[in-house]
Amino acid sequence: MINLLDLLVHPERFFSRLEGKEPDLKIPAAIALAGAVVAAVAGYAQSSLFSEMLSGMGGGAGVGAFMGIMAAVGAFFGFLVIWWLVMAAIFHVISMIFKGSGTFSRTLANTGYGLLPTLIGSVITTLILFTYLPRITVPLVRNLQDASAVQKAMQELMLDPAMKEFTQVSMAISILFLVWSANIWIFGVRQARSLALKQACITVVVPVIIFILYMVYVTFSGFSMLGGA
Amino acid sequence: MNHRCMLFILIAAMVAIIPVSAAEQQTAAAQVMVTNVTLDPQVFMTDDTGTVTVEVINNGAQSVAISRVTMYDEKIRVQSRAYDTTMYLGAGNRMTFTFTVSAPVPDGIYYPVFSMDFRDAGYLRYPVKLQVQDKPLKVSILSKPDVFTGGKKEQFEVLVGNPRDNGVSGVIVYPTGEGIEASPSSIFVGMIAPDQSQKVTFSLTPHQSTILEIHVDYMNGINSHAEVIRLPIDLGKSKTRAEPILSNIQIERKGNTYSLTGDVNNAGLEVANAVVITTGDSVVPVDPYRKYVVGTLQPDDFSAFEVTFTAEGTDRVPVEVSYKDNDGNLYTTTTTIDIPLTKPGAQENGEFPIVIIAVILVCAAVIGGIVWYSWRKR
Repeated sequence: MINLLDLLVHPERFFSRLEGKEPDLKIPAAIALAGAVVAAVAGYAQSSLFSEMLSGMGGGAGVGAFMGIMAAVGAFFGFLVIWWLVMAAIFHVISMIFKGSGTFSRTLANTGYGLLPTLIGSVITTLILFTYLPRITVPLVRNLQDASAVQKAMQELMLDPAMKEFTQVSMAISILFLVWSANIWIFGVRQARSLALKQACITVVVPVIIFILYMVYVTFSGFSMLGGA
Repeated sequence: MNHRCMLFILIAAMVAIIPVSAAEQQTAAAQVMVTNVTLDPQVFMTDDTGTVTVEVINNGAQSVAISRVTMYDEKIRVQSRAYDTTMYLGAGNRMTFTFTVSAPVPDGIYYPVFSMDFRDAGYLRYPVKLQVQDKPLKVSILSKPDVFTGGKKEQFEVLVGNPRDNGVSGVIVYPTGEGIEASPSSIFVGMIAPDQSQKVTFSLTPHQSTILEIHVDYMNGINSHAEVIRLPIDLGKSKTRAEPILSNIQIERKGNTYSLTGDVNNAGLEVANAVVITTGDSVVPVDPYRKYVVGTLQPDDFSAFEVTFTAEGTDRVPVEVSYKDNDGNLYTTTTTIDIPLTKPGAQENGEFPIVIIAVILVCAAVIGGIVWYSWRKR
């Protein structure tokens, strides 16, 4: 029986109970899928801003709907691939430096468990997103062929006070919950790859810090982030 | 011998009697005089035809034999024939003689001569004063609108004056013009006495720029005359017309639907009736406010309005304000308004929301606590 409270609060004990067992990907996959669904919802909601941006254009409604679907699909698979598969692969590759042993499926399973705080953070940021959406002033694009007008509209959207505020809030919450996930990943990678605690810390913290720096950079440079969280 | 004597006596008696009878005739003719001269019309216009009636009376005790009565003048043309039949004017009797004359002459006073020839007693000559005055009636515009507006009924006052020394009759005033409706179509004034005038009022409704003609037909005696004045009618905007002005315009977008709200003010001097506001062709009006009926707007009055529409491929919305004047004429004004390139968001107060800060701090505290706890329990 999986004790999710142990996973969140006492990850070392949680993963120690998994030692000697075959890696089971069902629950990690469920967590990752749930996170992907939330990311898809958030992506669709955010794409409504772009739909409105194009609504002043002939046929803009159709383009907006297409963009919404694409954003949802992109966020769904982006979450699955980047937050689960890529993260697990990064941890697995870095751990090779420390001669870690253990299968990739175990690393993948433990990384998936570590996505639970990220899922919680995604739910919170998505809820906050819905409170911010009505307050965001969306510039209109009359002609999609006019690249400068589109770029200007995008800049205006990103510089909108409500949009900037949401981006910063979203970033702060995402970083907090990413730190929580990293905490879980440290013990997960340690158990999956049979690493020393220090080695596990380096394996997890280095890519996480790089990712956090990337998020901060993207937030303050005005570009959208990949994934939902 | 007796027969010769009797014939001589008879001839002598006749010679003696005849001179005595001619003298009596001359005495009787001297008692005939003109008592009244009547002209119709009293004052002629150039080329007018009229009558001159001369009344004579025999104030003597004997009847007078008249062989011929006529009238003549070098310039005034007498159209009727002379009275050539021998007639007798009895003692104390009156007799009138009427002549038709025409006056193909310029202004002036003329004296055609009335002539009455007596049998065996000379003649009577009487110059008749005939005045020719070529002054027509004067037509002037008393009042008219500064600007005519197409389809709008306007009051138009005309004054017809008679500067002549005689009255004219049968005066009729009527306006004409292409695309002009007049009410009434004509006004019968009748007689206008000398130096008098008559004011008439028409309601005119022009439908196009045209020339308005005010006709005045009248009779001087039996002669028809007509005067006309022409006035150009250029359609334009009335200076006093109602003038709806849109202000306080705000456009909000709800999904694909725009809501345009604002105030419509009547900045004109006349009442705007049945004011209706809608959007033009480049956008599509949608419910709930495809059209907004404001109703009547008094001068300086205003009303709020709202119209809803969708706009694709355009960044401007034409707002049409239609209203009717008191005559029911429909007027439409169009104001083009730019659709803002942004969807209005909530007003930002510049403060970071307390709740969000609290959520972040709580999350930070909880997560920090959990991380600390997970490491402490090792």
